[in-house]
Amino acid sequence: MTPVHLFNVISQNNRWLAVRQATIAGNIANANTPGYKALDVEPFAAVMEQTRLTMAATNPAHMTSAGEVKQAAAVGTEQPWEITHSGNSVTLEQELIKAGDVNRAFKLNTSVLKAFHRMLLASAKV
Amino acid sequence: MFDPLQVTLKIGASGLEAQSKRMRVVSENLANAQSTGHTPGADPYTRKTISFESEFDEAMGASFVKVAGIGRNHSPYRVEYSPGHPAADAKGFVKLPNVDVLVEVADMREANRSYEANLQVIKQAREMISMTIDLLRSG
Repeated sequence: MTPVHLFNVISQNNRWLAVRQATIAGNIANANTPGYKALDVEPFAAVMEQTRLTMAATNPAHMTSAGEVKQAAAVGTEQPWEITHSGNSVTLEQELIKAGDVNRAFKLNTSVLKAFHRMLLASAKV
Repeated sequence: MFDPLQVTLKIGASGLEAQSKRMRVVSENLANAQSTGHTPGADPYTRKTISFESEFDEAMGASFVKVAGIGRNHSPYRVEYSPGHPAADAKGFVKLPNVDVLVEVADMREANRSYEANLQVIKQAREMISMTIDLLRSG
C-alpha cells in the first residue's frame, strides 16, 4: 500500500464522516418536528464498494459511475431507540453519541494523516 | 457541491433559530399568564402554540427545520369568581388565560435541551473544520 493510497482513503473517509455529521445535525435540528424519522448514512464499507473503480470518460455523453461520495444519496432510516407520540424517532442521546463517534474518527484520521505528512516532509527536507 | 461541514453549521443554526422562537412563545405565554380582558366578560389572553416542520433542501441534500406556524390553543379558559374585577361578567366570574405555568416551564426545559444539542453539533463541526485546517500547520 502506497502512502498516496492512504491519503486517498483518509480523505474519502473524512468526506463520509462530514456527510454523516450533516445528517446527525439534521436529526438533532428536527428533534422536535412531528413525524420526522431519524436518518443515518450507509456504512463506509458500502461506500468504498461503490467507489472502488471509476471508468475514464472520454466523451461527455458517457455515463459516469458514482465516482465520488454522494452528498446525501446514502441516507437511510436507522433503528430508533424510541418513538415519541408525535411520530418522531430522534433520540438526542443517541444522536450525540453518534456525533461524538464521528468527531473521534475524524480526529484519528487527521492525526494519522498528519503523521504521514510529517514523514513525507522529513524525507523532502533532507 | 456544498461542503457537508458547512451544511452542518447551517442546519445547526436552523435548529437554534427554531428553538429560540419556541422560547419566545413560551416567554409570551408565561408573561401573559395573568392577563385578563379590560371590559366585562371580555376574553383574556389565549395561549400560543408553536409547531415545527422539516424542510428538505435539494441543493444541499439536508433536512433543515423551520417554524410551521404559531397557532392558538383553544382549550377553555379558567374561570374565577371575583365580582370586583373590571373584566367580571354579570354573574361576577372572570375569565383567566388558559396558560398552565407547569406546562410552559416543561416546554422551556425541552427547548433548552434541544438548543444545547444543536449547539453541541455546531461546536463539533467547527472542531472538525479546525482539525482539517491544522493539517497545514504540521510543517
